[in-house]
Amino acid sequence: MKKGIFIALLIFLGLHQNTIAQIYGSNIFEFQYGNLPYQNNKELTTSYNQLNLFYDSDNLSFYGKVEQFITPIEERNYFDLTQKQVQYRDDHFSIRVGNFYETIGRGLLLRSYDIPGSVYEDAFERTRYAFFRDLEGISVEGYNDWIEVKAIRAKPLFNVNPPNFKPDSARRPDLVEALQINVFVNDLISVGGAYMRHNPSFTNDFQEYGSLLLDINPTTNLQFFGEYAFQSDATLLGFEDEDAFALYSGLNFYSGSFGASFEYKNYNNFRLGQGFNDPPSLIKEHTYPVLNRSTHVLETSNETGIQAEIYYTFDAGHTIVSNFTMANNNVFIEQKYREIFLEGYYVVDDYLSFKSFFDYAHDDPKLEEQRISVGFISDKSFNYEWGFVLDLQFQTLNRDFENTGTENYYGSLTFNYQSDLSAGLIFEATTDPQLTDDPRTFATFETDTRFWLGGNASYTFNSSHRMDVFVGKRRGGPACTSGICYEILDFEGVELRFSTRF
Amino acid sequence: MKLFLSLVILLGGFVYTPPKVNNFRLKNLDNRTTSYKDVKGDTFTVIDFWATWCKPCIQSIPKLVEMSDEFEDEGVNFVGISVDGPRNLAKVKPFARSLGLTYPVLLDTNSEVMGKLGVRAVPSLLIINQDDEIVYFHEGYKPGEEVEIRDKILELLAE
Repeated sequence: MKKGIFIALLIFLGLHQNTIAQIYGSNIFEFQYGNLPYQNNKELTTSYNQLNLFYDSDNLSFYGKVEQFITPIEERNYFDLTQKQVQYRDDHFSIRVGNFYETIGRGLLLRSYDIPGSVYEDAFERTRYAFFRDLEGISVEGYNDWIEVKAIRAKPLFNVNPPNFKPDSARRPDLVEALQINVFVNDLISVGGAYMRHNPSFTNDFQEYGSLLLDINPTTNLQFFGEYAFQSDATLLGFEDEDAFALYSGLNFYSGSFGASFEYKNYNNFRLGQGFNDPPSLIKEHTYPVLNRSTHVLETSNETGIQAEIYYTFDAGHTIVSNFTMANNNVFIEQKYREIFLEGYYVVDDYLSFKSFFDYAHDDPKLEEQRISVGFISDKSFNYEWGFVLDLQFQTLNRDFENTGTENYYGSLTFNYQSDLSAGLIFEATTDPQLTDDPRTFATFETDTRFWLGGNASYTFNSSHRMDVFVGKRRGGPACTSGICYEILDFEGVELRFSTRF
Repeated sequence: MKLFLSLVILLGGFVYTPPKVNNFRLKNLDNRTTSYKDVKGDTFTVIDFWATWCKPCIQSIPKLVEMSDEFEDEGVNFVGISVDGPRNLAKVKPFARSLGLTYPVLLDTNSEVMGKLGVRAVPSLLIINQDDEIVYFHEGYKPGEEVEIRDKILELLAE
């Protein structure tokens, strides 16, 4: 009923638009026919729809997200208004009530996010829903040229639980109250501080935290950022084993076509609540499939490390990127993570370019040694009318407890016509015993190479409408987007997505 | 009823009216808060959503920088909005500068503006007119598509 009233209100407001007010939004409809591999029902049909509606009028705006999931299995279905917001904003003041996103500093104390367009499903609940972590409550902000003050009282979403999860309170178990102040001392320096307390639903006690922030641009091409967050009973800058603290600092530099960044982290006992904070992991974010799913997941209970990255762009447009990452953690045992990454992009002419990468990693948390990944990507265009992209990637690694090494293969060939139409094939294979084994046969341990083959196509009708189709088998695994990592499930079948913007 | 509602919503999208950009505020590369009004162009504003980890973005940015220089005198302002999260923020400035990116870059750390403008992938490029209406939307980038974008700007300027 509430949802119906909300939609009716938005439609009413839409019919009363004037030159300074408008209703607009976007919609995603996704249909699947198929299932996860190794499931008995290969013909499961599911539909997911996500509607985002906005209404803006001068300084006032309304927002709502409606999600719906339909399957033949009734308990997985839902139709819910999963986000709603009213906001007032002018040149010096802003207030938001409802669902909103807010991050304090670099996320050491509090981090919320949205990954627009993403649809998440986990292997246990088997319900699909939008992947975001928002805050529900109130946020008030005041700002001028030299100071910003922000106050928040809200409950972060624990997004492991889907919208139909009961009880509702389990989706937002933590209450957070925070105050953040940033002062812009001059054009080169800003300092800030934050106070936050949170109250997990299963206790009556508040846990209190503070943080200090510093941003300096000593010269136009050098920048330093530092943030130190700590629990109120920790020894300030003591860095004792029993203390809860997080220290992050980053330095970046550029000169002409050269750029470099260096970051340091030291986190201890700093997983807050159900994980509503997200300190920078200082791990290179890869989009190459074999590397993306090999990412290191930060251990906020105890981890120190550094990350250094350099870039250079040549006059002809060629670029090189080099990254070195080192992380050590010690929760029950001492573990190390090391990664060296090199990437080159070479432009032959307007119609042909190549990319290649090399990556070496030693990954104790995943028990992987000598993990070597390489890739080669060629992008060829014929008079900008049509073209193709060939993407080949290979990865090899060893695990102590396995006799044979693991190899992962990835290949894709995508043809595109102008900017509207593309179609391609994706092939993947692995000899990883953790993936080749069929979980339905307890007595047998399958080691035959496992394959995935799928085809996809997309067509953009106009600025507002786009359709994507996938047919075949898709490999799942960990994936990272915008610094957020989550698990994607394998899929076998047909998937159709229709995206609308209006 | 629910299916019907979904269908209405889906088909309702076919009635196209250009959405508008409501003034938003984001931090720039020097940690100063900047509003859309501050970077808006006299004739048109071109907003490019990108990220340091996005490979097609790296291909498109030098072309956009060329266009930014070309259309500067026509009152067309280019703005980059990086959707990198806190994990990659330290890399945005040196990365952008090494690519020769000279126009303003704002940081949409929570992807909030991205979601509000209906952007679902990077790179995505929007052209906005003086009345803040989104008059062009381009998703993705392949070499050569800068020609289409440039032609669109010329067409809009000629109108």
